[in-house]
Amino acid sequence: MIAHHPSETTLLAYAAGTLPEALAIVAATHIGGCHLCRHRLEALEAVGGVLLDSLPPAALSDDALDRLLARADEAAPAPPPVLNAGLPPPLDRVPLGRWWPIGLGARWRPLQAEGAAWGGLVLVQPGRALPRHGHDGLELTCVLKGAFSDGSGRYGPGDLSEPQDDHDLPPVAELGEPCLCVIASEGMRLRGLLGWGQRMIGL
Amino acid sequence: MTSDTPASDDHAALIQAIAQRRDRRAFAALFRFFAPRVKAWMLRGGASPVTAEELAQETMLTVWQKAALFDPARAGASTWIFTIARNQRIDSLRRERHPATLLPDPAEEPEGPVQADRVMAMAEQESRIRAAMADLPAEQADVIRKAFFEDKVHAEIEKELGIPLGTVKSRLRLAMNRLRAALGDVT
Repeated sequence: MIAHHPSETTLLAYAAGTLPEALAIVAATHIGGCHLCRHRLEALEAVGGVLLDSLPPAALSDDALDRLLARADEAAPAPPPVLNAGLPPPLDRVPLGRWWPIGLGARWRPLQAEGAAWGGLVLVQPGRALPRHGHDGLELTCVLKGAFSDGSGRYGPGDLSEPQDDHDLPPVAELGEPCLCVIASEGMRLRGLLGWGQRMIGL
Repeated sequence: MTSDTPASDDHAALIQAIAQRRDRRAFAALFRFFAPRVKAWMLRGGASPVTAEELAQETMLTVWQKAALFDPARAGASTWIFTIARNQRIDSLRRERHPATLLPDPAEEPEGPVQADRVMAMAEQESRIRAAMADLPAEQADVIRKAFFEDKVHAEIEKELGIPLGTVKSRLRLAMNRLRAALGDVT
């Protein structure tokens, strides 16, 4: 049962297409498994549709329609190939780097994304802490497997964490199975071990 | 048909005519209404006139190609075209071009379980939102419009409107609450 969702402003930025790609990938991972957020998103996209209707039109060149109709037989482009069959969409089609050890019981695998945010997978052994970090900008974490807890609650598969302030308590993976998350963040560097790992691999 | 009258039902029928019989006249009517608006959006987002027109063209080409995937029970015509234009824009901003967007296309997602109390014709959803938008206080409508169409991150809206970031966020929240109320959403 999913208990933690993105904020309204984050979902709005996702609907508008203004969320940097890495953050959008994490948000999409959550939305893909969350009926509530899919409904919220559909409502926001309908707002986009209504606003599109209301925009004053900007004229196109006279032959725009003819040029387009000349392309009417073109096939739609194929979707990008599945690269990571074990991961939920859209992560299954996102190019990923290799796994890097980042200290005791944690590994990091960067994902390739454009824009003002970076992200990747983090795999933390049971009972180990996720790297400590501060939040200068938006940061999103979606749990894929296992669970972690921090001062604000417990996060299981599908849950999305969007911290509003620096957390004092580091997120700790629950005992049992390792915790796999996808994390993205803008405008900040991780502190501690993951920060060290980031610097080592030149992120 | 006049190109300035939003008529969601008509637009949905035009998309279905394209899906069913590759109807070029239906497409031309849809093009006349939406292409100039998609171009206007891209211009507001900072695209050059050439790029804005290209993105409008690519959006309309996708409408033609994917018309069969349009499901009026899941999204209104304007909403569907909005999401296609948005995805075109995201793709165009990528340095390395992918053949198609990595983000899920709502039209292609598998159908989830439908909750009976949530079933509402999507054209109806659009018209309720249109009415609610018209009723929003100007300041709330303003932050929503900027968030959607001027590619402004919240901090930039803050600077431009000369109001604190917290106010931007609370106006957005207030506006969204009203829109949700208009949809009869109790979540």
